[in-house]
Amino acid sequence: MGAAEDEAVDEHARTGDPVAGDDVVALLMRQHGEIHTLFDEVRAAEGEARAEAFRRLVRLLAVHETAEEEVVHPHARTAFDGGGEVADDRLAEEKAAKEKLTALEDMDVSDPAFVPALLSLRNAVLVHARAEERYEFALLRRTTSPARLALMAKAVRAAEATAPTHPHPGVESAAANLAVGPVAAVMDRARDAIRRTMGGGDG
Amino acid sequence: MTFNPLEQRGIPLDRQVRSWRELDVAPIDPDATDPYTRCRVITMNGIEVEAILFSHQLARHTADPEIKRSLAEVRYVEAQQQKAVNWLLPGVSSVLETTIAYEQVAVDLTAWIARMEPDPYLRQAYEFGVLEDFDHLYRYANLYEMIEHRKAESIVDGLTEVMPGRPTRMHHRHPYDNVRDPYDRTRVDPLSKLHALTVMSAEQQTMNFYMNTGPTYMEPIARQLYQEIGLIEEEHVTHYESLVDPGETWWEQLVNHEYNECYLYYSFMEQESHPKVKALWELHLNMELEHLRIACDLMRRHDGREPEEVLAPQLPNVLTFEPNKAYLRELLATQIDLTTLGAGYVREAHERFEEMQRRLNDGERPPSDRVMDQHRQVFGRDYRLETEGPHPVASERA
Ligand SMILES: [Fe+2]
Ligand SMILES: [Fe+2]
Ligand SMILES: [Fe+2]
Ligand SMILES: [Fe+2]
Repeated sequence: MGAAEDEAVDEHARTGDPVAGDDVVALLMRQHGEIHTLFDEVRAAEGEARAEAFRRLVRLLAVHETAEEEVVHPHARTAFDGGGEVADDRLAEEKAAKEKLTALEDMDVSDPAFVPALLSLRNAVLVHARAEERYEFALLRRTTSPARLALMAKAVRAAEATAPTHPHPGVESAAANLAVGPVAAVMDRARDAIRRTMGGGDG
Repeated sequence: MTFNPLEQRGIPLDRQVRSWRELDVAPIDPDATDPYTRCRVITMNGIEVEAILFSHQLARHTADPEIKRSLAEVRYVEAQQQKAVNWLLPGVSSVLETTIAYEQVAVDLTAWIARMEPDPYLRQAYEFGVLEDFDHLYRYANLYEMIEHRKAESIVDGLTEVMPGRPTRMHHRHPYDNVRDPYDRTRVDPLSKLHALTVMSAEQQTMNFYMNTGPTYMEPIARQLYQEIGLIEEEHVTHYESLVDPGETWWEQLVNHEYNECYLYYSFMEQESHPKVKALWELHLNMELEHLRIACDLMRRHDGREPEEVLAPQLPNVLTFEPNKAYLRELLATQIDLTTLGAGYVREAHERFEEMQRRLNDGERPPSDRVMDQHRQVFGRDYRLETEGPHPVASERA
């Protein structure tokens, strides 16, 4: 198991227990909630506050989708019957969402077309997130050991740590927090962190 | 108000069946729609479900096949109405988000009805019940933050406060004490009949929703909380249905049902901000006017009475979704510790109540308390949305 052994994993924790179970599904659902809330925040904000909230949203989306592409969908392919098709459907949704995101990235947040394009992206992301929860995550929890779910959670947390989406006062300045860099770089760093974590063991 | 449903003409029944295209309604936006639009959708779904179930019961008590056919024809349209209304809810919302919206309905619908209810005994029944659904809203909101990491204010949007009500553990009364005394159909204000039917239908739909969606959850605490609150919603159906005079004939009840549908669609049409939803309320009102005419004919034929004898001369004031914060705070301050004894209300936990609690809890804390323990363990606080200052009861302050 390697890396997984570093972490105390309670094998008797009931799957889906939000307190006892430290599993990847609970973590990704938390990120789904945060993404949805960030969409609300971007929509409600104006001017520089909106631009700043949008940058945080883009970073979280980048980290989240990278983690799913690296950790969740490949595992789903072999974890349950039909997992390959389920993973393909999710990747197609992610691709469609990314196209909408690209269209938004070059737009000024005060452009009158921004909010309609944002709502269109939000719909694509929400539909994708619900589809994961209903058709993929539910089966992952049914078929995957708590130890494996915990290892996957560790990898997702490592990815999250490479691109903080909340300002961390005292740890880094707000300016440094914003200077995370372009989306491609965010994804690269997230991917490296995941591979380092998962590489430690493939239990 | 001058609108009298008995004098209006609706859409002829043979033109009421809709095609797939017409039934394929566009869902409302979960974030950018007035929460009270969603409340009206949930309310009318409950009303249509009751219309369908009542008509089935009536058909099962009817021998004449021609009457059964006539009921079936109207009922099919009610079933289409239910689809058109409930399918306004968006598929991207989770069960828990819809649940929180159901409890927002229970709180603001029941509170408004309590405020408008002319009969003191009936008003007390609504005031008693609303403090329980108010607490359900608080428990589900804490479950929501724990599982989905979202705050319930994104759903209720500050229109309804989220904080402790009468603690959910205290809702588990002996079933004997859940039956109230009925109103007297010959003396009660016709408005009171509409109130009782509306709240009963909403609670029945809530009961059905929790008992069917609860087991779709994976999280043990979520499964357990839906079981617990699902049982309480059954108590609420018992509580509210017992308010209705059982001496009303089947045909009189049918007329009341159709009249109430007219009243509610008319009310919601008047206040709806969402243009497509408003158009649906108007369409359904025009269908219900015809259902009401048919029901009135059946009542004349089978009871030999005029429907005007049991109905109001004109529609009462429109039923309105609006914040009831000050009223709810007043109830919290004065009625949080009530329970029931027989058909009345007391402050002391009596023998039958204690025995019921012992049986259910069996030395453990109920799910509604454990969800709060788990939430505090994760967040170090509870979730609440107090927009009007601290909780009116000192011991319930955060
Ligand atoms: Fe996701
Ligand atoms: Fe109807
Ligand atoms: Fe409730
Ligand atoms: Fe209730």
